[in-house]
Amino acid sequence: MNKLFKTALYGSVLYGAVLFSSVSFADVAIIVNTSNSSSLSDSDISRLFLGKLKKFSSGEKAVAINLKLGSSTRGEFEKKVLGKSASQIKAYWSKRVFSGKGKPPPELVSDKDVITMVAADNNVIAYVDAASVDDSVKVIKVY
Amino acid sequence: MKNIHKALVLSSVIMAGSTQAEITFNGFASIVGGITTSSDETLYSYDDTFNFAPDSLLALQASSDLGEGLSVTTQILARGENDWDPDFEWAYIAYNASDDLRILAGRQRVPFYMYSDFLDVSYAYPWIEPPAGVYSLQFSTFDGIGAMYNTSIGSFDSSVHLIYGGNTTDLSIAGALQNSRLKNLMGGAWTLTRDWLTLRAAYFQADMFIDVPPIEPLAAGWAAAGFPEIGDKLKIDDDKGAFTELGFQIDYNNILVIGEYTLLELNDTLLADEANSYFLMGGYRFDNILVHATYGWDDSSKSRITNGVPEIAPLLPLLIPTNGQTDGEASDSSYITLGLRWDFHDSAALKFEYTSYSDDLNSNNDAGLFRTALVTVF
Repeated sequence: MNKLFKTALYGSVLYGAVLFSSVSFADVAIIVNTSNSSSLSDSDISRLFLGKLKKFSSGEKAVAINLKLGSSTRGEFEKKVLGKSASQIKAYWSKRVFSGKGKPPPELVSDKDVITMVAADNNVIAYVDAASVDDSVKVIKVY
Repeated sequence: MKNIHKALVLSSVIMAGSTQAEITFNGFASIVGGITTSSDETLYSYDDTFNFAPDSLLALQASSDLGEGLSVTTQILARGENDWDPDFEWAYIAYNASDDLRILAGRQRVPFYMYSDFLDVSYAYPWIEPPAGVYSLQFSTFDGIGAMYNTSIGSFDSSVHLIYGGNTTDLSIAGALQNSRLKNLMGGAWTLTRDWLTLRAAYFQADMFIDVPPIEPLAAGWAAAGFPEIGDKLKIDDDKGAFTELGFQIDYNNILVIGEYTLLELNDTLLADEANSYFLMGGYRFDNILVHATYGWDDSSKSRITNGVPEIAPLLPLLIPTNGQTDGEASDSSYITLGLRWDFHDSAALKFEYTSYSDDLNSNNDAGLFRTALVTVF
């Protein structure tokens, strides 16, 4: 009886672990140009993507780039780095857009487009699926 | 080869972003229906027949970057209560003098309240509309100059918004829209934000010139009776109005707490000398559903302006209506709103709200109101 119970328990734990890993998403890498040596805290990264910070620690202009709305990497980024849901972020930007205070980062469709752009422009900061990163860009943090 | 590649990438970004007088359109809409819960009740322009007009609205914003930090924006808003006649709610030229300083010239919002900047964008806040007791000023825009200065103070983001200008919107006084001019409308709002905490304070003042024809005979009567100063205390002619606001917001994980206080002081007019309004809201997020409860209370007071006038028969035809007007400016009321917001879509939300309103001076004005709204940004 006891053994049966234990087996059932292990089974459900194992099932739970499998289920959990199947719904967990890939890591998100924050990337900049290889020539960018700025140091950025978690808060700096969040503020750059919310339009509250517009420069790197070097004093160089910073341009944040988004992935397209609906991309699962963008959802992960917003949840892990910005700590908000997609609709909370949408509400945040609608406050700024309709009051003339700012506009959301421009969007690119794919990780490949983002990496190409970051590799070509030392003012850009962006995020991609950590599995997409190649050595043309510099990863400053993985979430 | 690498340069060509870089040029290609940059030009695609420029096209995705904006330059060269490319026009960006954005918009928002609220379709709101409401009905009071009893046949003899009215509240916030609703009665006991289901009505979509009072709070429904649709807005379209067009903006264009002209380059060199200059941009032009207009926002056209059509309200159900105005038969969907479109109005220019915002129309301004903005100049980014630096990363920290942005200057707006033209028609824009007076940042009276915490939610003034996006007052009509229901998607941006929990309620169908911000609590009506606090958000009670009759006008929300001005024509003039605004400056926003953003900086960091320690770990806080600080935003200072200063304005100067005027407003000529007709205001409803003594039961009708009156020709109104607000001059030297000036003041500012200061907002501090850190992670989950927002603190805000604002102060504005204006010189008010408002024609109120119904009180002219009374003012003339006082002048003829040898008390011109009483007529002057009724008229709104170069009288000062002052507005003070304090607000906070805590948005911590799934918990939301918001509070706001406003004080409106009007010197030497027929209206209340002082009006205080407060609300406190608590909310909790369950994934894409937010439930919230708001308690708000409002009071206003007005001192009689006829002190020292002898209560003799010939003056009674002036005393009675004058005291009647000023006594009638006192008010004391409260309300509870229970609401739910469901973010069922990337760009749209459904909201349900029930408001129970009590008038502590006249319980005949007590009312219950149910509203539902579909709100979106696009």
